[in-house]
Amino acid sequence: MNLCKRAFLYSIRKKGKTFTLLAFLLVMATLMLTCFSIQSATETANANIKKALLGYFTINGKQLEGGITEEVREQILGIDGLSGRYTLRSYSYAEYCDAQGNPLAINTEEAAQIPEGYEHAGKIVANSNSQDDSYFTEGGFELTQGEPITTEGGNQVLIHEKFAQRNGLSVGDTMLLKDVEGKNRTIPVTVAGIFTNTKEQDSIGIAPSYDLYDNIVFTDLSTAASLLYGTEDGASVQYGDFYVDNPDELERIMDEVKDIPGVAWEDCTLTRYDNDYQNAKESLEGLQNIVFIAIAVVSVICFLVLALFLTLRLRGRIHETGIYLAMGISKGSVLLQYLLEVVLVAAIALVISFGTSTVISHQIGSSLLSQVTSETYETVDLTGENEAAEEPAEDLNLSEIEVAVSGRDYAMVWGFGMVLCVASTALAAYPIMKMKPKSILSQMS
Amino acid sequence: MNLGLRALLYTARKWKKTLLVFCLILSISTLVLSGLAIADAQEEQTEEVRGTTGASFTVQRDISTGGWSSGSGGSYSTQEFMTEDMIREIASVDGIQGYDASLITLPQIFNADGESLEHENYGFYNYGSYNSQYHELFLSGRFELVEGTHITDDMSNGIMISKELAEWNGLKVGDTLTGIYYPENNTPAVDMEIVGIFDVVADKEDQVNMYDDSSYYDYSSYVFCSMEAAEGLIKGWGEDGDGISEAYFYVTDAAQLDNVIKDVQNISSINWNNYTITSNDEVYQNISSALSDTGTLITTLIVVITVVSMVLITLILFMSVRSRKRETGILLAVGIAKPAVVLQYLLETLLIAVPAFPLAYVCSRQVAGTLGTLFGKTAENVIVTPEHFMSVTIAGGILLIMAVLLSGIPTMRLKPRQILSQME
Repeated sequence: MNLCKRAFLYSIRKKGKTFTLLAFLLVMATLMLTCFSIQSATETANANIKKALLGYFTINGKQLEGGITEEVREQILGIDGLSGRYTLRSYSYAEYCDAQGNPLAINTEEAAQIPEGYEHAGKIVANSNSQDDSYFTEGGFELTQGEPITTEGGNQVLIHEKFAQRNGLSVGDTMLLKDVEGKNRTIPVTVAGIFTNTKEQDSIGIAPSYDLYDNIVFTDLSTAASLLYGTEDGASVQYGDFYVDNPDELERIMDEVKDIPGVAWEDCTLTRYDNDYQNAKESLEGLQNIVFIAIAVVSVICFLVLALFLTLRLRGRIHETGIYLAMGISKGSVLLQYLLEVVLVAAIALVISFGTSTVISHQIGSSLLSQVTSETYETVDLTGENEAAEEPAEDLNLSEIEVAVSGRDYAMVWGFGMVLCVASTALAAYPIMKMKPKSILSQMS
Repeated sequence: MNLGLRALLYTARKWKKTLLVFCLILSISTLVLSGLAIADAQEEQTEEVRGTTGASFTVQRDISTGGWSSGSGGSYSTQEFMTEDMIREIASVDGIQGYDASLITLPQIFNADGESLEHENYGFYNYGSYNSQYHELFLSGRFELVEGTHITDDMSNGIMISKELAEWNGLKVGDTLTGIYYPENNTPAVDMEIVGIFDVVADKEDQVNMYDDSSYYDYSSYVFCSMEAAEGLIKGWGEDGDGISEAYFYVTDAAQLDNVIKDVQNISSINWNNYTITSNDEVYQNISSALSDTGTLITTLIVVITVVSMVLITLILFMSVRSRKRETGILLAVGIAKPAVVLQYLLETLLIAVPAFPLAYVCSRQVAGTLGTLFGKTAENVIVTPEHFMSVTIAGGILLIMAVLLSGIPTMRLKPRQILSQME
């Protein structure tokens, strides 16, 4: 009877023992695979945290001839590691006229001074999305009528409530923006909305007329570009805030930006803003370390338990070994038979474990996922009756966390599992194999 | 021979097998104990991350419920200002990590020789501050302390200046400066000692900030002084309209912001009709879902480990009892009652478990110690507590008993003869 057949027959005959071994190996392999899939999922979660901490850099291209052009922006956005979220901004001054070209009245009462040529002028603020502008996010501005300005084109403006009242303007009316540097750039714009300020301006008495809240006009980027650069299309901007996926890479990305040819980078100021990340960095690394510690402990102890288990199993077969040897079967082939049995069962266990761990991982993943969605819809009323800084939950474009068994991990568990099974069986068999059949059999109780 | 003796003898006779089972129980319970400790460490670490998000609330005088008056600088609110006692009382509420408030003055500043300091346009923009490390400009990373210390609430006459200002005027930490706010109104001269020098990280040229009076001053002209010194600067000025109108309080745990605010609102000595509270935890809101995902994943990992460990222990005991079928048959054949046999097996298992559990406790503490040296600070949080040990011992004990009883059932249902004839 050759050893393969013997191994096979043994496995069939001792159904209970084979089944226990199979169950044991299956549980171990599933545990390892699940651990690995959880670990890679926490890596995604960690990357999400880093992304949500919103590290970004600002390019100040105010001094650039022609501003930051669309072409340059596209090259910047092509750099690896940018999250794709960005804000573009331009600031200028313009004289306000009605559709017929008659100058409109601005608030001059509270101004510290009214510079010459600015008697009918004010500050022009252009943003990719007017709602994202700091006047709205921090300065307490609120849109009372109409829609925010979002598109890059469209020749639209938002005006202050008081400015609208003073000049009898309402949503849908047309007015003209004229540049104040005498370059004869006149842009007709439509009033898309009216805003008001909820906080008093604290710089009244210091601020020149054009900086007063009443005299500020928000517009789109291309209108601002026409005023600033006189370009008809391809809106150039003065400032760009570019968000990155991983704030750790800010330095590299900023270096790559400075390598983009055709821009006088020495005239630009690049500033990094990653304070939230720097604050949380150490604690985050700690969290990631904990996962690593958990995986390390599990791996080591799993291997230990597996080795012990296989040893225990083999020790129960001393009697059998003695008989084999007494029958004249060589030690090598007895060992090989034992190994074959374990490997056979281990192979089956590993194949099944892929299925079981995928099911478990999926289960974990779907329970996590449902948690995320329920959290998004849960509006947190933080301050009760107090004035709450209510902002709609921002879409940070985070990656979906997927708990799945990767091919690499599966291969690794196969490799280590098999090596371990063979090694521990061989080690456990070593003391038995060293003995003579007679001493083995006489040792038995 | 009574069953206690039998169990003892068996354990001693089969010492190799006993040792193996002992090692198995030991490693598995070490695993579970470490897992529990890791789960706790995870919670602590998550809390730490939440603490770094700078969640805060602002207490502000409510202009809408106060009166108005007008003076030289236009109309102003006569709503009562915040007092130092009130700010300190709020700051003493549990869960508040730090606080700051600003009292703004625009002083002239002179060096020790009485010369006015070189500076950029306008003059100096001076924030009277309790704890300047909690000032928005530092928290947002726009300024960074490079030398000396921050202003703290126990300093009486500290001042912080920008690096540029220090360079232009040859100033260093420890030098004394004198500030005078309104010489024509006879406000006193206040001597202040430079305690820190900060660097400007932000780009002041960026026009995004242009909406308040501070934005007309150059960042290099910003100074921070102790609240006491700032109060000294405005002493005797008399005119209304200067005082602390808002204060910022930073909480230790962003998840507790809600509760801390509720506690603050319950302070009865403050007339909340005159003040409003605004919370700010945007950063925490941004990361909270991803952070709780990480937490859930780690907890799941530990749960998986624990469940698997229970299965493994059961399997091992099952195997060990089953391999003694023949022995069981013989014991029954010699007339020993079935319960006595099961009890013997139970006793043997417990004999192994009793030293294994405490040893696992020692082992896992050792593991945690080793991890501590490997990973430094993080792993220091991985602490195996006596509570962990208690729960593992109790749950483990019950599990062992259940496993032995269950694996004994198939054999026990048979007659000794059947058992013995079944053997090969």
